[in-house]
Amino acid sequence: MTRRRRSPIALVLVLLSVAAGCDSGPEDEVTRITVMVSGDPEEIDAYRAVVTAFERSQNVVDAQLLPFADRDDLIVRLSTSIAGGQPPDLFLMNYRYYAQFAARDALEPVDSYLRTSDAFSAEDFFETSMTPFRRQGEQMCLPQNVSSLVVYYNADRFVQAGLPLPAEGWTWDDMVRSARALTFDEDGDATPDVYGLGVEPEIIRLAPFIWSNGGTLVDDEAAPTSFAFDAPAVSAMQRFLDLRSADGVTPTDEEAEAEDAESRFLNGRVGMLLESRRVVPALRTISSFQWDVAPLPILSEQVSVLHADAYCITAGSDAKEASWRFIEFALGPEGQRITAEAGRTVPSLRSIADSDAFLDPAAPPLHSEVFLDQIPRLRALPVVSTWAEIEDFANGIIEEAYYGGGRALEVAVELTIQTRALFARAER
Amino acid sequence: MDPHERRGLWLMAAPFVLGVTVLVVMPAVGSFAMAVYEWDLVRPPRFVGLDNLRELLDDPVFRISLRNSLLYAAVAVPLRLLCALGLALLLYGRSRLHAAGRVAVLVPTVIPDVVYALVWLWILNPIYGPLNLALGAAGLPTPSWLSQPGPARWAVVLMGVFQLGEAFLIVVAMRRLVPEELQEIAAMSGAGRWGRLIRVTLPIMAPALLLIAMRDTIVSLQSTFLPALIVTEGGPPPYATTYLPLFAYRNGFEYLRYGYASATTVVMLVLTASILWLLYRAFGRWSRRAWERA
Repeated sequence: MTRRRRSPIALVLVLLSVAAGCDSGPEDEVTRITVMVSGDPEEIDAYRAVVTAFERSQNVVDAQLLPFADRDDLIVRLSTSIAGGQPPDLFLMNYRYYAQFAARDALEPVDSYLRTSDAFSAEDFFETSMTPFRRQGEQMCLPQNVSSLVVYYNADRFVQAGLPLPAEGWTWDDMVRSARALTFDEDGDATPDVYGLGVEPEIIRLAPFIWSNGGTLVDDEAAPTSFAFDAPAVSAMQRFLDLRSADGVTPTDEEAEAEDAESRFLNGRVGMLLESRRVVPALRTISSFQWDVAPLPILSEQVSVLHADAYCITAGSDAKEASWRFIEFALGPEGQRITAEAGRTVPSLRSIADSDAFLDPAAPPLHSEVFLDQIPRLRALPVVSTWAEIEDFANGIIEEAYYGGGRALEVAVELTIQTRALFARAER
Repeated sequence: MDPHERRGLWLMAAPFVLGVTVLVVMPAVGSFAMAVYEWDLVRPPRFVGLDNLRELLDDPVFRISLRNSLLYAAVAVPLRLLCALGLALLLYGRSRLHAAGRVAVLVPTVIPDVVYALVWLWILNPIYGPLNLALGAAGLPTPSWLSQPGPARWAVVLMGVFQLGEAFLIVVAMRRLVPEELQEIAAMSGAGRWGRLIRVTLPIMAPALLLIAMRDTIVSLQSTFLPALIVTEGGPPPYATTYLPLFAYRNGFEYLRYGYASATTVVMLVLTASILWLLYRAFGRWSRRAWERA
């Protein structure tokens, strides 16, 4: 009998498998988790820093970051991954959009983990950021931030124009007056080169002014079945629409398509920008002028709108304990310090929100405490499973009216009628 | 054809048939099945019969998307066909200049679709884009390509017109098959350049042109997806460039309504088949007769 000669390839494979086997002890103990996030490159850098620090802090959970450019891309990937039976273990999502997954039982409630956690307790977080992520009494996700809509302003432009800087208690009329003064034509072509204000005509930008004017947005904030714009709401909406059509203090449709408001602010070509904390990492790259932040102007009361994202564990994850371990790190003092120092978040953890990691005056904006002052006055948009559809639809109508000179009453009627079916389809 | 030859042909066709079966036929059958269910791909599907189709008929966004898609096909298909024909008649020769021209026509077709869309996003920028800068320099009007419904729809057509490489190649090949003798006979009987085109060249190419028109109709009802998703984002608001593929995509992948999205694709399939049938009924006999006459 002749012995078959072992092929060199087989030999290499055997050696490789032996080598792999020698190392398999610690490998077997490592649990791998995937974390989906979305955002601008600067935001993604902050999340990447959290993952890196997490991996450095322990050696039993290996976290892989899956970054996406925007929430639409994340939702597409998330839903198809769940459908394909390979969901990510964790994802980070705004409170306006997580309900479509919660309503479909795709999320693992975090109450039991939170109760037994040594890292933090529910009381350590701002309640304002926890509430929207609670569904039928269960905490579905845990928030990383408690941001809000504020006004970023180019301080140099205000000083040059001899205008008072925006501050607590300033009114809508103050804002419009400043915006008019900051809108001007630099090159004499009869077209403004610098505008006073940059704002996206969207429901999340409009809502706080409706509330500030004492108006209502929906019929029942806890279980909305329809938009319900009352007279103060329509009045506030008209003033919002007037910013472009009557006041002319924001870029035209064409100019907004050519360059968005954030980019214009970065280039010093809008005096004020209505945005959330999200833009701070990008604004920190500004070196040509001084900028700072102020609360939203008042129509009749001081209100803003909540911007909060939370880590959610998927029900289909087979590494829920490891995922929770990541959440404990990312939302614990060290993780929140990293994202706060990067400028991305208004920390949901009280201890970090009150620390230098967030309030350091050396890291602009100078008055970050504005975000903390807003927290008691924040209101959240409705949390319904069809909100993504409702918001897309509403934003289209509002944008068309904003740039096309539409009337608020017509917009209110159209929004109310056209979105009824979408509200009706929401799962309670 | 002997059995051996037939087996060989089947073997050669097998990979393609397998690919089409797995990647086209089976998903299409799956779409038909999903269209009668409400399914978010997270929970088990729920049978709803024809409810999705009924809801589509009542959905104003679907009606706008359907109208946009039909308008696009009605404008883009003849335009692309005419451009492919014109360019092919201009560039079918064998000189280096003709070859360079053919490469230039083909390039937009071989660029990856996402890159192509991003390039157009820059070209169409209403203030900084080269198209409006060029139009402005020539003293022509500079449309707001991305913020006005009419120009935005034309922008999507324009993006499609430049991607006519496949149709162009077929027409070039067909033009080269037209026997020169026939052209000479027509010339001797007094036909000028135009007369030869109408009486000889086009009739011989008629079956291929019909085929291209039918193929382009199929493509045009789907090819709006990336331009609408990346360049115009379905707008200007509310839905100026929302076409059926984008409508189906958003409902399926963004709103988790896969049954509803499948019902939309079923409508697209039926619509495409109906247009093809109409095209064939209208021009099939004409193209056969033209070929026979020639």
